[in-house]
Amino acid sequence: MHFINRSIKNIKVPIIFSAIILALVLYALRGFTADLAESTNHAVFGPGDNKEGYESADYQTNSLDLQQRIGKEARLIDFVSSPPLGLPPVPVPADNPVTTKKIQLGRKLFFDRRLSINDTFSCAICHIPEQGFANNEIKTAVGVEGRTVKRNTPTVFNSAYLEKIFHDGRESTLEQQVWSPLLARNEMANPSIGYVINKIMAIREYDNLFEGAFEGRGPTMETIGMALASYQRTLNAANSPFDLWYYGKDEDAVSEQVKRGFKVFAGKGSCSVCHQIQEGFALFSDDQLHNTGVGFEDSMGVEPETTRVQLAPGVYTELDTSVIKSVSRPRENDLGLYEVTEDPNDRWKYRTPSLRNVALTAPYMHNGSLLTLRDVIEFYNQGGIPNELLSPLIRPLNLTDTEIDDLAAFLKSLTGGNVSILVEDAFAAPIGDISADDPNWAHENKLEF
Amino acid sequence: MKKMAKSQAKWVQGSIAFLWVVLASAIGFHSTAMADETCMSPYMAKIVGQEDYVYVWTLGVEGLGDEQDKLVTISVNPDSVNYGKVVNVLSVGGRNEAHHSGLTDDRRYLFAGGLDSNKIFIFDVHTNPSKPVLHKVITDFVEKTGGMVGPHTMYALPGRIMVSALSNNVDHGGRTGIAEFTNEGEFVAAHWMPTDENLRGAKKVGNIADGYGYDVRALPRRNVMITSSFTGWSNYMMDFSKMLSDAEAMKRFGNTVVVWDLHTRKPKKVFEVPGAPLEIRCAWGSNHNYCLTTTALTSKIWLIYEDDAGEWQAKAVGDIGDPSKVPLPVDISITADDKGLWVQTFMDGKTRYFDISDPFNPKQTYEHEIGSQVNMISQSWDGKRTYFTSSLLGNWDKTGDMDEQFFKLFSWNGQELVHEFTVDFYALKLGRAHQMRFGAYSLYSQKPNSTGTLLSQH
Repeated sequence: MHFINRSIKNIKVPIIFSAIILALVLYALRGFTADLAESTNHAVFGPGDNKEGYESADYQTNSLDLQQRIGKEARLIDFVSSPPLGLPPVPVPADNPVTTKKIQLGRKLFFDRRLSINDTFSCAICHIPEQGFANNEIKTAVGVEGRTVKRNTPTVFNSAYLEKIFHDGRESTLEQQVWSPLLARNEMANPSIGYVINKIMAIREYDNLFEGAFEGRGPTMETIGMALASYQRTLNAANSPFDLWYYGKDEDAVSEQVKRGFKVFAGKGSCSVCHQIQEGFALFSDDQLHNTGVGFEDSMGVEPETTRVQLAPGVYTELDTSVIKSVSRPRENDLGLYEVTEDPNDRWKYRTPSLRNVALTAPYMHNGSLLTLRDVIEFYNQGGIPNELLSPLIRPLNLTDTEIDDLAAFLKSLTGGNVSILVEDAFAAPIGDISADDPNWAHENKLEF
Repeated sequence: MKKMAKSQAKWVQGSIAFLWVVLASAIGFHSTAMADETCMSPYMAKIVGQEDYVYVWTLGVEGLGDEQDKLVTISVNPDSVNYGKVVNVLSVGGRNEAHHSGLTDDRRYLFAGGLDSNKIFIFDVHTNPSKPVLHKVITDFVEKTGGMVGPHTMYALPGRIMVSALSNNVDHGGRTGIAEFTNEGEFVAAHWMPTDENLRGAKKVGNIADGYGYDVRALPRRNVMITSSFTGWSNYMMDFSKMLSDAEAMKRFGNTVVVWDLHTRKPKKVFEVPGAPLEIRCAWGSNHNYCLTTTALTSKIWLIYEDDAGEWQAKAVGDIGDPSKVPLPVDISITADDKGLWVQTFMDGKTRYFDISDPFNPKQTYEHEIGSQVNMISQSWDGKRTYFTSSLLGNWDKTGDMDEQFFKLFSWNGQELVHEFTVDFYALKLGRAHQMRFGAYSLYSQKPNSTGTLLSQH
């Protein structure tokens, strides 16, 4: 026994020394290797319920198994302290410095379905990690009790850089933004701020987590917002093939088609007027709101007499609008920025979204009306939809088919090299589902009625 | 050692098979000697004679009455002074998307699921059949099952309730599974549907293994369990018109029927059945080795049958109405003699009777408009009484004047349906009438008094 102890003692110093050296080397290589590493997990770049080719009668499934959706935790704070290539320094509010404890708490809250009136809705139910932290499966979101949300779920990737949040730009900080979905009747439908706070306090899993992350402060309106914002602030996805080529000067990082597509993007297509590229970094947005005609068409367009509806792979029918109307609930109108300013000039204006990771976030536009990147390019190529408030920046582009293909290839080169790390980390997050230990009237012995 | 284990396993298998034969014979005897609705589990206790009550699992509607889901008890025995009247209303809190319900094999408890809240409400229907009480609420269905969402069919096996789910807690899509509970509501096991990534030993017969779920039924004498496939939470909770106009959403429907080994709960074959196959009804005849299902979107009748070589097959055998108009076949009901199939088409509010004497060649012989919309049907074992309700899903039902909500009784004389009475669920401020299950004093050796309520209690 003594002999063993002495032996361990003798080798302790060299082992510790080697471990430190190894750790330092790994740390130095960390960003480099992690970002370049191709994910082996094919489930991170789209819905596990793959519907590619569903239009055809010979559609073949490639369904992934939910039991094998296994993740791997990442050091998320690194994506704040040293954001991936192509992104600027992450703006962090002075009163909410990012810490690992806050990130972990925010991540737990983000995936907690108990943070809704009926324990069924977390942030991640709409912002699905493998679907670009958006939702590829429906045009516009659906909230508690199936209530209609009129807009497409925007991605959370790179939301740290947003100065105008939501499609209509009505919110200004992530800390404040989180309360909108928590309280919206057609999203998570919590009846009050106090309800959310009290519920979190009653869930034993959260005991001491807020206090540990916020120097003794428990769950409050402020700390809940700070924790969720801290997690969202880490979801920075860049170091894409485009970044490696454009900023990293690696000529082989993208194909010639992508390079041609970039020329169209910055030249003939004028895309970069709104989806801007700066010196040293690119957010691919001007952070402004524009009228492209999509909103106008939704509000003012004449309804078609029939709608083409898919019934099964390769099976379609034309349904009369009257049939569809017979099962339609009242639909909320959408006037864009006007709903915030009430300035009639702001009707149907929506925020320019970033194009980073755009290949992962279909369907497109604020209402999800365009299904593919090619659809979007063709929409702009025809000059949007005419209306008296159409942005003067939107005009016919006269792009050729080849130029459209090149542009689409360029857009696909904007998928961040670290997306798989962020998504796999999300897979590793526990999903908060109501258990018998959680607050609910039905757990109490009050069933004698 | 291995050999011994093998022979032991064979012996066990043989014994189980023998038990099934005995059980199946017993079931056959009960079926002919007593009366009951025709779509229940063959393991279930039977009602003798006339049913006394129908329990209607009802969705609450915002702005109507107490706005919450409820179990509505309606007296249906013509001998009762309360015939055709609501005799009890039990509100359960919340709008859970009340949908389907199922009785335990001993018919003492009714499990009723909420497709949205994932709660399962267990009602005691035996202590006093005229006044069910809430016995227990399962609130942790998602947690216990490891992520299943949307408890749908509650199907009785001996001492067990199989609960087929519709969705999951990851993406609210259609990949899901079946959960197994005891009659007391204790979780036993989760059985996930086969996917391409993990077929779980099943053979993928066509191009599709989507992992979706909907109904579950068993044909015990063939050791077979069959499941169908619908859609995930995002679709079934979405406004119907919004979904029909969403091309991506319309890709998220099930296109499979899975045949399982009933004993081992292992999937054996995944069949391609395009267009959302919903309810499954298995034939009762001792040599009728088949079940039927209908596809909601493609409006077809499918036969799932065992061929002469003992292999299970799936075949489209007929159209329902004009499929291009999407009549939307929903609930179906097989007659006790396996000769007829009632099919409700939601969009035109009709019930259609198909002669399925030759199950490979069903023929529609009768149709009748029940209301502006119709979904569920329950018929008595002798087929003389057919009950209908109106609601499909909270956000799929028709709107405006077309949104009638009712419980209706029609008598069937073999030629036509004759209306007996209607309970207007909106006039009574109850909500959307969905699934029906029968109750009877005779099951528990009880007798009603002259007002139709319980005379003596055990």
